[in-house]
Amino acid sequence: MLGMLLFPVLLPAAATAQEKVVEQIAKAAEPQLSPAEKQTIKRFEARVKQYVKLRDRVKGKVPKLSQNSTAEQIAAFEKASVEALRVARAGAKPGDLFTPDVAKLIRTTMKSEFKPSEKKEIRKVVLDKESNIPVHLKINYPYPDPKEFVEMPPALLLKLPQLPKQVKYRYVGRNLMLVDTDNNLIIDYMLDALP
Amino acid sequence: MRRAVASVLTLFVLILFSVFNSSYCQNNSNGNARGNSVGQPAKPGNLPLSLPLKEGSVRFGIIGDTGTGSSKQQQVADLMVQYRAVFPFDFVLMMGDNLYGSETPADYRKKFQDVYQRLLDNKVKFYATLGNHDQPNERFYENFNMNGKEYYRFTKGNVAFYSLNSNYMDKAQLKWLEDELAKDTSEWKICFFHHPPYSSGGKHGSDTALRKVVEPLFVKYGVNVVLAGHEHFYERIKPQKGIYYFISGAGGKLREGNVKDNSLLTDKSFDSDMSFMLAEVVKNQLYFQVISRTGDTVDSGILVNQRKKP
Repeated sequence: MLGMLLFPVLLPAAATAQEKVVEQIAKAAEPQLSPAEKQTIKRFEARVKQYVKLRDRVKGKVPKLSQNSTAEQIAAFEKASVEALRVARAGAKPGDLFTPDVAKLIRTTMKSEFKPSEKKEIRKVVLDKESNIPVHLKINYPYPDPKEFVEMPPALLLKLPQLPKQVKYRYVGRNLMLVDTDNNLIIDYMLDALP
Repeated sequence: MRRAVASVLTLFVLILFSVFNSSYCQNNSNGNARGNSVGQPAKPGNLPLSLPLKEGSVRFGIIGDTGTGSSKQQQVADLMVQYRAVFPFDFVLMMGDNLYGSETPADYRKKFQDVYQRLLDNKVKFYATLGNHDQPNERFYENFNMNGKEYYRFTKGNVAFYSLNSNYMDKAQLKWLEDELAKDTSEWKICFFHHPPYSSGGKHGSDTALRKVVEPLFVKYGVNVVLAGHEHFYERIKPQKGIYYFISGAGGKLREGNVKDNSLLTDKSFDSDMSFMLAEVVKNQLYFQVISRTGDTVDSGILVNQRKKP
């Protein structure tokens, strides 16, 4: 009798079959943007898509990488794709994708969209580096091979403009980069982008 | 009268709690097993086994943070080969940081292939996940069996394994994970990735930022076990929201003495030498054994499937 009374108290409430957890998390994390800010994001996403189109054209001209490659094939692909992209993007400079308006919006989002405890958590993750190998931010050059990648805080990834799978955000210290997923090419970066 | 009822209720809750807890995991002992980190590697021949070796079971090894190419990493690998002679496991899960430093073809050989060659020769498959020291293109490497994917799923018998990329847990990955878990009817669901949601490590500690987004999925969709690395020691965490958590991050590196004393999270830990795990799933039970570089069994036990109690 006592057990029956306690049972509903001890059991957690069951989620409904229709509720998707990720949708709820993503919706809760969506930043509040004005129409002008939404346009800024749209233009940024369009520039990133342009990069992906260029990169796919270039990729078609370098040796293909199969899903089960040797280490030699991986190294050959990375070298060839980086060199080809450097030629195709000659003249690329910081701010080509992170234009001033979107850089400002990202900094503002980071400042205003997180509680102090969340900012502290993000900083802990981003600044938790294990090696002191310096990273010189240089457009069209790869992120240095021996340097570890800092984990990208999931809460931040939900707030930042969404990227296609070919491109990723990466932190180096307080600075935010856009990096090509296939060859770690630094596509663009913005400074002081930590909440 | 009210006090009597309150006392009875309290007693009932305590009884319920202890029964619930003890049915989860039977193991040898708790606490931190300290050893001697300068001890000699194990000699062949003396291999105590805490695993039942049942026909048709799913048998695998677990290593993490291996990619140094060091002599001690080799000693752990050699011990795995010896153990395979008495416990023929079919595959190995890698918890990330599969290669440290540069990743030239020579590094792949020195830090992975040469070290585990005897296992590879015996058709043992390695399933890797990406750590913070791993270049993303490791996902294309034939011997890591990631098939070009940063996150993927595979099944062995009644067990579904999910390899996740905890370096970059974005909406796309979370959505994929939820969709897959929701339709998964496997008896066991085991997730493995690099950063531990729960940890008593002094260097890194629990990745609470990651935990916030993945734990709700694990709880909702009945994940049984979570394996991680990143911390260079072994730790069995007390079940959290009904899920078993392990850290196995000392396959090639060691952070000696890094487990915080008296951590409320720890059921068992070992941080004075390198180690690896062996596991065997038999129907609704998962047996595990943790072996140090010097051949000591530093932890072992049986996990009962939370969703399919006997």
